[in-house]
Amino acid sequence: MGQFVQYLINGVISGGILALIALGIVSVFKATKVVNFAHGHLILFGAYFYFTFAVMLPEAAFMPDWVRSWEPEWLVAYRADAPSFSPKAAIASWISDVPRILLGLAGALAANALLALLIERLVMRPLLGQSTFAMILSTVGLIWVLEGSAGLIWTAEAEQVPSLGPNFPIRFELFGANLFLFSGSLFNLLIALALFAALMLVLRYTRSGVAIRATAEDQSTAYAMGINVPRVFSSAWLIASTTGAVAGAILATRTGLSPAIGLFGLSVLAVVLMGGLDSFAGVLLASMLIGVLQAMTQWKLGGEYAEIVPYVAVLIVILIRPHGFLGQEEIERI
Amino acid sequence: MLTIENLEVAYFNAIQVLKGLTLSVDDSEVVALLGANGAGKTTLLKAVSGLLPLENGAIGEGRIRFQDQLINKTPPHELARAGLLHVREGRRIFTEMSVEENLISATYALTGRDAQPDFEAVYNYFPQLKDRARQTAGLLSGGELQMLAIGRALIGQPRLILLDEPSLGLAPKIVDEIFDIIARINQEQNVSILLVEQNANAAFRIAHRGYILEGGKVVLEGSVADLRRNPDIQTFYLGLGDQEDKKSFRDVKHYKRRKRWLA
Ligand SMILES: Nc1ncnc2c1ncn2[C@@H]1O[C@H](COP(=O)(O)OP(=O)(O)OP(=O)(O)O)[C@@H](O)[C@H]1O
Ligand SMILES: [Mg+2]
Repeated sequence: MGQFVQYLINGVISGGILALIALGIVSVFKATKVVNFAHGHLILFGAYFYFTFAVMLPEAAFMPDWVRSWEPEWLVAYRADAPSFSPKAAIASWISDVPRILLGLAGALAANALLALLIERLVMRPLLGQSTFAMILSTVGLIWVLEGSAGLIWTAEAEQVPSLGPNFPIRFELFGANLFLFSGSLFNLLIALALFAALMLVLRYTRSGVAIRATAEDQSTAYAMGINVPRVFSSAWLIASTTGAVAGAILATRTGLSPAIGLFGLSVLAVVLMGGLDSFAGVLLASMLIGVLQAMTQWKLGGEYAEIVPYVAVLIVILIRPHGFLGQEEIERI
Repeated sequence: MLTIENLEVAYFNAIQVLKGLTLSVDDSEVVALLGANGAGKTTLLKAVSGLLPLENGAIGEGRIRFQDQLINKTPPHELARAGLLHVREGRRIFTEMSVEENLISATYALTGRDAQPDFEAVYNYFPQLKDRARQTAGLLSGGELQMLAIGRALIGQPRLILLDEPSLGLAPKIVDEIFDIIARINQEQNVSILLVEQNANAAFRIAHRGYILEGGKVVLEGSVADLRRNPDIQTFYLGLGDQEDKKSFRDVKHYKRRKRWLA
């Protein structure tokens, strides 16, 4: 039982990241009816941007020392009596990283937003009113454009980036088993869920949210009612690229920088199909299920199976329910 | 208010639907536009409200002017914000949102204007909507859906409303009720209305002038009083007349109708 809870926790933590990635795919799909195959590579850019602004830039000669490592006197005093590997030491080291973490996040969000706006303006907008199919195919093309240019711009690989939250092991006992998780993972999960919840609240309770939902339901009618639909499209890409930047930063802290982040993001499309391309609630459910299923497979069958079993589950669900758990749109034609 | 000259519209650069259509709507006027299925009525409204490019349609020749501005290429949201509101065929209500949210979505038409949305005005015309403000719009009856569609246009404080078949699928009693309100809106809000209808009886009750559209062209126009006296209209649109077998206009062979109009 204790082991079960341990893997459940691991699964929910991975599920949170899947949900954060899925969020971007669903936002763009709902608003524009485009399945963005390149979302994973937008996330890859987010990860590289986070690295650029949180690691490379602070090390530049012109940056003041405190950006690289902030050591105010009170922090030095606080750290003085902390044993190594204690939560206190981890918190102290995180605090001295806070300036570059914030710089990294701000830079990654801004740069990724700019990138998405460029894509939307230069690739998607000219295809507006033509076929949605052409737009979807061009996102497939974007995968290679983004992957290729990332390889040209950043030669760094497997670099470490600072974790978003303080990172220390949390140990506790449950049903007689010793369980543990990293506080950094918990922090990441909370960020993912908070972003998810924030978007739901904005969509539900704000006037802009009404405009986005109206566009999602009936683009041309929303347009004819005075809603600036092209701007809603840009907003959807902005939501996808900024939440994607956070997801990229989280993935980079978990596994290090690597082009594999792009492919991982692409694989989340399967989770999105399972939940329903147009359903936030559906993809949240699917993300958690897949995260937990993956962890359980890892536990019972080992790592090799953990890569496959969840996707078999996705296929089965899609065969039974082509629109996913909670999807409604006619998406077979895609 | 609205003038259309020699308008030509084709879909996919191939299917020519409007073939030199000319029509106008004056200030505070209700103009009825009648025509059989497929005559191009909805196409005309989409051309005016800027929706054609979203449906693979394009304006070829011809000019559309709204308040003396050429609007052939103006995007839909700018037209709405200038006071030209289109109530589309089939109502096109956002069914997953509440009635109130549907009205809120319509407030975007006021962007850039120094105006506040007047929800109470809509609820005064359509008290039923007020009772259902918080309800999911998808659950409304057909008549209520049409009221909400008109209500959304009203929120935008329109100068001209394009109304596409408001009577579609509604019981006669509801049609009368809604058309009475349309007439009141026309008078009280000083708004012009271009009313597309299959139901000529209902349309003539509130319209000042009318056009008959056939094969993408206007084949007959005039004041409602004149149109009512026209024997063809009586036969094919008003269900009156004592022509041999009281066929509906739609059932008559195309060439035969054409001959009548052009004779
Ligand atoms: N998006 C489209 N693409 C291609 N052809 C279209 C499109 N919309 C309409 N048409 C064609 O244009 C013609 C006119 O259609 P339109 O909808 O304007 O007719 P209508 O007068 O409104 O008819 P109804 O009374 O049935 O609503 C029809 O032959 C129709 O098939
Ligand atoms: Mg029509």
